[in-house]
Amino acid sequence: MKFHPRLTMIAALLASGCAAVSPGAIQRLDEARAAYRSAAADPAVQKNAQAELQSAAGALEDAERAVAEGGPSELVEHNAYLAEQRAQIAQRTAGTRSAEAAVAAAGEERRRLQLEAREREAATAREGLRKAEEAKREAESRTAMLEAERLEKQKEGTAAAGLSAEVKRLETELADLRAKETSRGWVLTLKNELLFDTGGSTLKPGAQRALDNLAQFMQKHAERSIAIEGFTDSTGSKDVNQQLSEKRAWAVKAALVARGISSTRIDARGYGPSFPVAGNDTPAGRQLNRRVEIVIDPS
Amino acid sequence: MTRTPLIPLAALALALAACASTDKPEREMGAARAMVSQARPIAAVDAPQQLAEAQLKLGRAEDAMQRKQYEHARILARQAEVDARLAWSVAENARAQRNATEVQDANRALRQEIERNPQ
Repeated sequence: MKFHPRLTMIAALLASGCAAVSPGAIQRLDEARAAYRSAAADPAVQKNAQAELQSAAGALEDAERAVAEGGPSELVEHNAYLAEQRAQIAQRTAGTRSAEAAVAAAGEERRRLQLEAREREAATAREGLRKAEEAKREAESRTAMLEAERLEKQKEGTAAAGLSAEVKRLETELADLRAKETSRGWVLTLKNELLFDTGGSTLKPGAQRALDNLAQFMQKHAERSIAIEGFTDSTGSKDVNQQLSEKRAWAVKAALVARGISSTRIDARGYGPSFPVAGNDTPAGRQLNRRVEIVIDPS
Repeated sequence: MTRTPLIPLAALALALAACASTDKPEREMGAARAMVSQARPIAAVDAPQQLAEAQLKLGRAEDAMQRKQYEHARILARQAEVDARLAWSVAENARAQRNATEVQDANRALRQEIERNPQ
């Protein structure tokens, strides 16, 4: 019998295929098992590449079965190769899913960051607006305050100027009146000779004009109060002089009240010979000390 | 990974041809062609080695088909498909990793920008 060359070859191949699996194929299978175990142990693969892992497991089973059936070695190697490649595919697929999840998470993070940035910008803008408004209000209130101060000063100035002018006019009109501006305010000094007889506390008819003028002045400056202070020289008893100075101050007050000035605006008191303005050793000095002072309250 | 010897494959094909059906492996060929086509555009850059392996095996599978060595063609087609699938997976994974790095870097930059401009 003559063998056909091809049939001989096939028979040889079958014989080799059905013989014990080659060490190379066994090594290949070991590598495939390791690749599969590595993929199966990866939680990401378990979670995201189950189908690919199952496919690798199927190929590995085919390879194991081929080994159990004694080959052929090429079939073992083929299935081991498929199993190893699929195990790798499973790991790459799982890696891709994880990266895609990271992209999605980053997208969320980005939206959150943008929202945060917008909120910060809005807060900054609100703060800026608030500060600007506050600064504007402060500036306005400062302006208003300065304006009020200016008006107040102007009013005071006008009032002071008005008072001074009035006092000067009084001084000019009444020959026996001297006006002096002191720290207590304006002080008008009237000589006793103009108002009273020596030793008396009854106002002389000649005092009427001065009292009229004084009353007019007080009506014009209704906001002001005055103090009427009586003084004597040191001649005679101190008590008598004290009483005399008081009576004279009261007489002036009574005359002003009689002219319609409220008694609450007038304080009358006597100091006798105290607070002399000149020496009592000469007639001229004594004459200067005998006086009534009218102090105009400065406010 | 690319160590599969072709001579034993041919031997396996012949061995299988001897004891299995000799149907044309049209389904396996179609799947391999489709997978190689799918992988080619994206794997050319990110998985050239795996793609080249798949294309080589697909070419040999086509040759085997021409020579009517159907079992040889079936085995080559299956390996070409799995190689192309791996090429595609590697390239997809590289693309996804790049995307992730890109968006994470962008976020880091944005965060720094926000922190640099406090109120």
